[in-house]
Order: sequence, then C-alpha cells, then structure tokens
Amino acid sequence: MSARVAQLSLFMVTLLIGVLLVGQLRSQARPLEITSLPAQDLSELIDTLGARNRELRTGLADLHETLREYRVAGSQGQSALEVSREDLRRITAFAGLAAVEGQGLVLDVSGSLDAIALNDLVNELRNAGAEAIAVDDVRVTNRSVAVQGPRSLVVDGVEIGEEFTISAIGSPEGLLSAMERPGGIIAQLEQFIDATIVATQSNEIVVPATTVDLAPAVAEAVR
Amino acid sequence: MSQRRVPRRLSRRASWGVSIAGALAVMGFVAAAQWNSSASRESFTSSAQQVLAAQVLQLEAEQRDLREQIAEAEEQVRQFQEQSTSSSATLAVLNAQLEQARVAGGLSAVHGPGVIVEIADSNRVVPPGENPSSFIVLVDDLRDIVAALWASGAEAITINGERLVASSSIYGVGASILVNTSFLPAPYRIEAIGGDGLLDRFQADPAFTGRVAQRIEFYGLEFAVAQADDLQLPAFVGTTRFRWGVPVESPAP
Repeated sequence: MSARVAQLSLFMVTLLIGVLLVGQLRSQARPLEITSLPAQDLSELIDTLGARNRELRTGLADLHETLREYRVAGSQGQSALEVSREDLRRITAFAGLAAVEGQGLVLDVSGSLDAIALNDLVNELRNAGAEAIAVDDVRVTNRSVAVQGPRSLVVDGVEIGEEFTISAIGSPEGLLSAMERPGGIIAQLEQFIDATIVATQSNEIVVPATTVDLAPAVAEAVR
Repeated sequence: MSQRRVPRRLSRRASWGVSIAGALAVMGFVAAAQWNSSASRESFTSSAQQVLAAQVLQLEAEQRDLREQIAEAEEQVRQFQEQSTSSSATLAVLNAQLEQARVAGGLSAVHGPGVIVEIADSNRVVPPGENPSSFIVLVDDLRDIVAALWASGAEAITINGERLVASSSIYGVGASILVNTSFLPAPYRIEAIGGDGLLDRFQADPAFTGRVAQRIEFYGLEFAVAQADDLQLPAFVGTTRFRWGVPVESPAP
C-alpha cells in the first residue's frame, strides 16, 4: 500500500517537473506575448503596422472605385472593356510584366557587394514602399533573387558588374529616409562591406518590364 | 534475522527518500527559475508598454478587417470580369490575359507539387554568456530560406500563409517578423510550389548552406523539410496599386 502511495507521489512529482521544464524551456528565448516586447519594438511595430494599414485603406478605396466603374458600365449598358483594360494595366505593372515610369530613388552602388547584401538592399526598398524595382535593366519580380555567379552577381540570369544601379519607384522622400537612416542598410553595408552607395531622388525613373517568362511550369490557378 | 531485516528496510526507505528529495530539489530549482523569469517579465511590462501593446493589437485587428475587405472586393472585381467574358471576343482575350497576369504576379491562389520547410526556435537551454537571440528564428533565416527556394526554381512561396509577391518584404522589428503587412509568430512554415528536384536544389543552395543551415546545427533551431504532392497556396492580399508610377505601355488586345 505504502509502496503504491510512494509510486503515485513520485509519478506526480515527475509529471510536475516535466510541466515546469517545458514551461521554462519555452519561456527562455522569444517573448511570445506582445506585451513582453520592449517599448522600442512596440513603437516600431505601431509605425510599421500604421503605415501598412494606410496603404491597405488606399488600395481598398481604389478597388471600390474599380467596382463602381464596373457597375456604372453595366447599368449604362456599356462594355466593361475599358475597366478590364485598366485592371490589366494595374496587374501587369504590379507583376513586373509591364514597364513603369515615375518618381523614386536611384542607388548608385559600387564595391564588393555579395548576393546577401544585394538581396537585403532590395528587401529594404520593398519594405520602404518601393512599387517597382530594377537592378540595372533587370526588373525585380516576385521570383527574382541575386545569386553569386562564376564571375559576378547574377539577377534573373543577367550578370551584374561591380558597379550597378538600383532604380526604385516610390515615394522619393520615404525611400531616401529609409535607406539613409542612421544604422540603416546603407550605413551597415558601407561599414561592414567595402561598398559605396549614393542615393539620389529622381522624378524620371523608368523601370523596364521583366524579360523572364513568369508563366509557371507546374503551378496552376485554383479554380 | 531481525538484525538483517532492519538495515534492509532502512536502506530502501533511504533510497526512496533520496529519490524524492532529488526530485523535489530539481522541481524547486525549475520552479524558482520559472518564477524568476515570469516575475521579471511581468515587472518589466510597464503601463506604457501595455498601452503600446494594446495599440499594436488594435492595428492588427484593423488590418485583418482591411485584408478581408480587400479579398472580398478583389473577388467581386473578378466576378464582374468573368460575368462579362461572354459579351465580346476581345473581352474574353483580355480576361484570359488578366488571369495569366494574376497567376504570374501571385494574385491568384495556385496549387501544385512542392516542398514544405518548417523552422522554429531552438529548444535548447541558452547557456550562460550566450546571446538568447541566437536561439530564435531571425529575419535573416527566413530571407535565406526564401532566397534559396527562389534560386532553386520555386514558382510560388508563402510564409505562414502570406504569399510572396514583387512588393513583399521580410522585415525584422526586434524579435518580431513582418511579412507583407502581417506580423508573423514562430514557428514558420514556408511552402513552395516547384518542379522535380526542388527540395534537393534548395538544400544544396548556397543561400541555405551559407548561414541558416549552420545556425540550425549550431544553435539547434528546430527544422524540418518535406516534399508535397499538391500544395495549395493562397493569393496575395494587399495593395497592388501604384501611387508613384504609371505603366509605360499596356498589352491591350
């Protein structure tokens, strides 16, 4: 009887240790609750989420405008051709299938950037709201990635020299401040990599269409 | 006889006692560690932090609502286009082009064979003197995995259901990771559609072997890969309009 009680007690103690150990292991590294994040991280999250939500609201307003145009065309017995053409222009530009012109930022890069650094630069521009990006004459699409080739960096099969230009269409001020902020991507790359990056705002940037066939070979649209 | 029995009973009791004492000691140590970590975290959560955290949660809720509305509006636009297909041959061609462009740009849900990559924080106890952030999944880990997948021929990728498109960024805010507009918590599940050999090419790609593979081994990040016969990836939900640029030409039919 006493042996059974002892076994039961030991089982309970072991179970409790297990539960506590799991809790301890899970709590040791990443703060899981949003309230556990440092105030600085929370402030940055608020800024980022706020900016993203503003973009989403604008996008939603545009979509409602497109819907209104379809309804007007339908009610007036007109063809939806022009509305659909406009939608095609929007989608092909977004996907990188059409060239885009507008305002933005030009980065003149020279030095020994590796593939990670170039991908980080593109990622930073995207995060800062760039709408269309090209590395030299190579349009950056969803599938574009810089890789180290035998002689130099390669983007979408095109060799990029040691000196190249990144053109980004977007808010010139927004892109510039994101790239040049203290401790930002340019400061980091110039400090840790032997590179020089000169950022210039421009009102006349043309980003070409991609020359890559983006039609998937195995992926199919869900009907 | 009794002299032999007494020491045996004593030694058995002593052995039980030592076991239970040891177990209780471990339990006490772990409980104290657990208590200390939660106590310090709780005391660190100031009222200002709680206000900020509430704002973050509110913005996230607002974003979920906006994304639902956008997905709904996109679907309505698509329905308008499909309904009007029969009205003219030109419109039918135009709508076919629209569908192709949507698939190319990540604006349509797609399915196909591919790979699943899962990565999560390490379960190892952080040794004294080590940086705890080395033991969690960092933004660079996700970027490297995604770069390796694209370089290996992936045609469509999602991270925790967020479809990657031309405007997608993977961005770190402290220990948090934002993909597109969403704050994504660990563990991370990356799904990629691609042709034969995608998994082998991915695991041999320098973008994977260069940093993240080493961190997985060195810090014990949880990591698993699997092939999948038919993955289904959702469409991107977000803004696709340009504010600062206009298309130079349009492929009008």
